[in-house]
Amino acid sequence: MKPIPRRKFIRGTAMAGGALLLLPELKAGMWLTDQPSGNYFLKEFGIDETLCHKLLAKALSKGGDFADLYFEFTVSNYLGLEDGKVNQSYGDISLGVGIRTVKGDQIGYGYTQELTEESMLSAAATASTLCDMNATPVSDSFTRPKAGNYYPVAPDFNGIPAKAKLPLLQAMNQKCFALSTEIAKVNAGFSNSVKRVMIVTSDGIMAEDLIPSGYLYTSVVAERNGKREQSGWNLGGRRDFSYYTDAVLNEIADKAVNNTLKLFDAIQPPAGEIPVVLGPGVTGILLHEAIGHGMEADFNRKNISTYSSMLGKKVAEPFVTIVDDATNMNLAGSLNIDDEGIPGKRTVLVENGILTSYIHDRISAKHYGVEPTGNGRRQDFQNYPIPRMRNTYMLGGPATPEDVIKQAGNGIYVENVSNGQVKIGEGDFAFYVSQGRLIENGKLTSPIKDVNIMGNGPKMLANITMASNDLEMYHGGAGQCGKNGQGVPVSFGLPTCLVKSLTVGGTQQKGGQS
Amino acid sequence: MSYKKDQQQEFRELANWVIDQTKQAGANDCKVSISKRRSVEINYRDRKPEVIKEATTQGLYLEVFINKRFAGKSTPDFRKSTLSGFISDLIENAKIMEEDPFRTLPDPKYYAGRSEKDLQLADPDFQQLTPENRHAMVKAVENACLEKGGDKVISVEAGESDDTYEDFVKTSNGFEGSSRGTYCNIGASMTLQDEGDRRPNGYHYITCRYRSDLPSLQEVGIEAANRTFDLMGGKKIATETLPVILENRGAARVLSGLLNPMSGGSIQQKRSFLADKKGQQFGSKLLTVQDDPFLPRGLGSKLYDDDGFPARKRDLILEGSLNEFLIDWYYSQKLGWEPTSGSISNLIIPPGTRSVDEIIKDLGRCILITGYIGGNSNSTTGDFSLGIIGKLYDKGQFVQNVAEMNIADNHLNFWNKLVEVGNDPWIYSQARFPSLVFDGIVVSGI
Repeated sequence: MKPIPRRKFIRGTAMAGGALLLLPELKAGMWLTDQPSGNYFLKEFGIDETLCHKLLAKALSKGGDFADLYFEFTVSNYLGLEDGKVNQSYGDISLGVGIRTVKGDQIGYGYTQELTEESMLSAAATASTLCDMNATPVSDSFTRPKAGNYYPVAPDFNGIPAKAKLPLLQAMNQKCFALSTEIAKVNAGFSNSVKRVMIVTSDGIMAEDLIPSGYLYTSVVAERNGKREQSGWNLGGRRDFSYYTDAVLNEIADKAVNNTLKLFDAIQPPAGEIPVVLGPGVTGILLHEAIGHGMEADFNRKNISTYSSMLGKKVAEPFVTIVDDATNMNLAGSLNIDDEGIPGKRTVLVENGILTSYIHDRISAKHYGVEPTGNGRRQDFQNYPIPRMRNTYMLGGPATPEDVIKQAGNGIYVENVSNGQVKIGEGDFAFYVSQGRLIENGKLTSPIKDVNIMGNGPKMLANITMASNDLEMYHGGAGQCGKNGQGVPVSFGLPTCLVKSLTVGGTQQKGGQS
Repeated sequence: MSYKKDQQQEFRELANWVIDQTKQAGANDCKVSISKRRSVEINYRDRKPEVIKEATTQGLYLEVFINKRFAGKSTPDFRKSTLSGFISDLIENAKIMEEDPFRTLPDPKYYAGRSEKDLQLADPDFQQLTPENRHAMVKAVENACLEKGGDKVISVEAGESDDTYEDFVKTSNGFEGSSRGTYCNIGASMTLQDEGDRRPNGYHYITCRYRSDLPSLQEVGIEAANRTFDLMGGKKIATETLPVILENRGAARVLSGLLNPMSGGSIQQKRSFLADKKGQQFGSKLLTVQDDPFLPRGLGSKLYDDDGFPARKRDLILEGSLNEFLIDWYYSQKLGWEPTSGSISNLIIPPGTRSVDEIIKDLGRCILITGYIGGNSNSTTGDFSLGIIGKLYDKGQFVQNVAEMNIADNHLNFWNKLVEVGNDPWIYSQARFPSLVFDGIVVSGI
C-alpha cells in the first residue's frame, strides 16, 4: 500500500480561499466510463483493486450479505464579505474511507482518515464485528457502471484563483446598496467544494464521481423609520464558477433587497385553519418535508411511517404526480451515482394520485424486492448511506396561477419558507413562512411574514385541490436536508398549488380577537 | 480511546512547530487548535443490533493573521511533510483578503486570570466500558421500553453512544489551553399504533459526562415509552388564549431566540432587537439566566472561551433585565466595547418552589408543551413562531394530547408573561432550565 503521495496531498490542500488552484486537472465524467484513466483514487492515493478486494474480504470475514467501501476526498472553501470588505476565508479538507458490512437490515461500520492499509483493515475489522459466521466471498472483478453526467464543469474550472472570486462579493455588496438607500448592512458569502468519491462493493461495482457544489448568498438589513428588517437570497447548485454571471448577481441582489423592503409593510395573518396557496419554486420544500420524508423506505420497512400501508393506494387527486429525480442538470440534489454506486435516475413516487414507489437504498430495495432507486446517500465517509431525497418536485396541473388564487377566496399565499420539520410517524409538519401575501376575495393583498403553517403530510397531499402549470425548481445551493444527524444537499420544486386548509400560527385569532 | 500520558505534550510540540512554521512563512500571528476523538455507537431495533459503528478522528485548525488580513483552514493530516504546504497555502489565502483592522488575536492581557478548577469533564472509569457493557446497556433500555409499551408497539430503537476527546489550543501571543473529556449518551425511541395511519414516535435520550451519572437504564426505557404514549390521539383544538407551560427539557428552544440577538455580531451587524436593551427590563422579574462554566461534570463546562478569555460565572439576564451581552474579541473591536466573551457555557434559570403537577392544578385550562416542530425566531425583530406538541389540562385534570398547534409572539412581549418557574431543572443539558409558566398565550389550531 502506498502512503498518500506527499506532493499530491500538498497540491490537494492548496485551494486558496475558494480556488481549486493546484489540483490535478479534472475532467468531469471521465471516470464514469470503463476507461482506466478514471482511477483518481488509484492515481492519487494508490487505492487499487487488489487492496479494495482485501478490505472487502476483511469486512466480510465473519459473513454478511455484502460490504462496501466509500472513499472520499473533499475540499471546501468559503469567502465572506462584511462591512464592505472580503475579510474572511475559511477552508476544510476531508479525506477518509468508510467501510460497511450489511447483514439483512443490520449495519457494521468503521471509518478512518488514514488511507494506509493497516488503518483501513482495522476499520474493516470493526465493520465485520456485526457478524459471527463463515466468510462471504467477494467478487473477483469490478465493473464500472454507466452513468450520466448531470453536472459537467469546464475543463479549467479548478484553475480559478481565489483572487478572481473576490470581485463577485464586492459587486454583490455594491449592487445591494445601489438598489435602495434604506439598506443598512450587506453580508455576502461564496461557498464551494469539490468532492471526489469512489464506491467499491463486494458484489463487483467500482464507481467514481466528481461532485462540484457551491452557492453565492447575500443577506441584507434595511432600516425605515426606526424599524429594521432582514432577508436574503442565494443561487447555486452543482456548478462551476462560470455560472455566477452578472445576471445571476443581479437576481440575487434584487431578491435579497426587495424581499427585505417588502417586510416593512407585512402584517400577521389571522391564526387558525385557512386555505393556503403555495407559490411556485422554493415552497417545494413543503413537498420535501411534509410528504417526501414519509416516503423514504427505511421508515416504511420499519413500519414507522404514516405511508407504511399506502403503497399502491390513492393518496392524492389524479392531477398529482410527484417525482424524486437525480437527473436534473446542475441542481443541488443531482447525482451521477449515489453513495452506494447506483447510477442516478428519475423515480416517480406518486403517479396520477397513486403512491407507486418509496425512496430506496440497497437495504430497503432488497427488503421490498425492487431495484434500488439510487437514493442511498450519506453526508461523508464518517456516515453510512440511508435513503435520502435528491430533487423532489410535483408536476404542473391544468390550472393557471390566477385560477388557483381566485379559488382560495380568503387565505394566505406563501412565497418563501424555511425551517421545515416533519414527524414521520404522525405525518405532522410545520414550516416557517418568512414571506407571503394575504389572499382576500380571491386576490393577493397585504404582505405577511414570520408565521408558521402546520398540517399533516398525507392530509395536505389529499387536500391539494388545484395545481397550475408553472412548475418551478429551486436553484439555491444552500438547501441542506437533515436526517439522522446527516446533512445532504437537495433541491425541490412545485407549481402554484391550493391546499384546502392548513393551520396558520399567529397572534391574531380569526374574527379579530387577539 | 484511552488517554495517552504524553498526548498533550505531543499536541503541544506539534502546535509549537506549526506556530514556528507559520510565523517563518510570514504570518504576524496565528492560532492552532488540535483535537482527537474516539466515538462508538451501538443501536438495537426490535431486539437485534441494527448499527455498530466505531472510529477515531483528528483535526488541526489553523488561523493566520497577516497584516490585518485573516484566513482559517482545517485538515485531518498531521504529518509535518504535508502541513508545510498547508501552512504556506493558508498564508497565500490570507494575503489576498481585504485588510480588516479588527482582525487580530486578542490582547494577551485578556488571557490572564484563568481558574485551575477541576471541572471533572473526563470519566476515569470510561476505559472500562467494553463492547459487552454497551450491548448490555442498550438491551436493558430496550427491554424496559418494550415491556412498558405492550401490544401497541410497532417498533423500538434503543442506542448507546460515547465519545472520548482531547483538545489543545495555542496562540502565537501567549495563550495555551487544553481539555479532555467524555460523553455517554443512552436512550430509546418508540413507535406506537394510533388511530388510522398515525404512528406516533416518542423518545427519551440522556447525555452525561460520567456513566455513573446516568439514571437507571430501566427508568430511561420506561420514560421513552411514556413519552410516546403522551403522543397518542394528539389533535389540534380551536385557537385559544390560555396559560402554557414550557416543559423543562424543551424550554431552551424558545429561550434560544434571545441568545443570538445578544451576540456582538448581531448587534454590530444591526440584526438584534436587543441591541438597545442593555440594562433595561424586557421580561418578567422571574426571568434570570446565569452562565456558569464551573459546574462539575457540566456538559458546557470550560475554563476558557473561544478567544482564550478565562471563563467566569455571570448573569446574562437578571430579574428580567438584560445584564450582559455576548461580546467576543473581534466584535468588541468593531463596536469599540470591552469584550465579555462571545460564547456561553452552562445556562441556568434558578428554579422555583413548586412542581409542574402542583402548578397545573392552579392554572385552570392550560397546555403543557412537551415538544416543538419547525418554526423560527427572527433576531432582528424578535418575532417568533413555533409548532408545538403537548397536553391539555383543565383544573389539574388531563383532557387530551394536542398536536399540529402553534405559539407565536414577540420576545419583548412573551417574556413579560412569565408568571412562575418550576422546581424541576433539566440537568441532562447545557441549558439547565426548569419548566416555565406563561399566561395569556395565543395557541393556534383549528
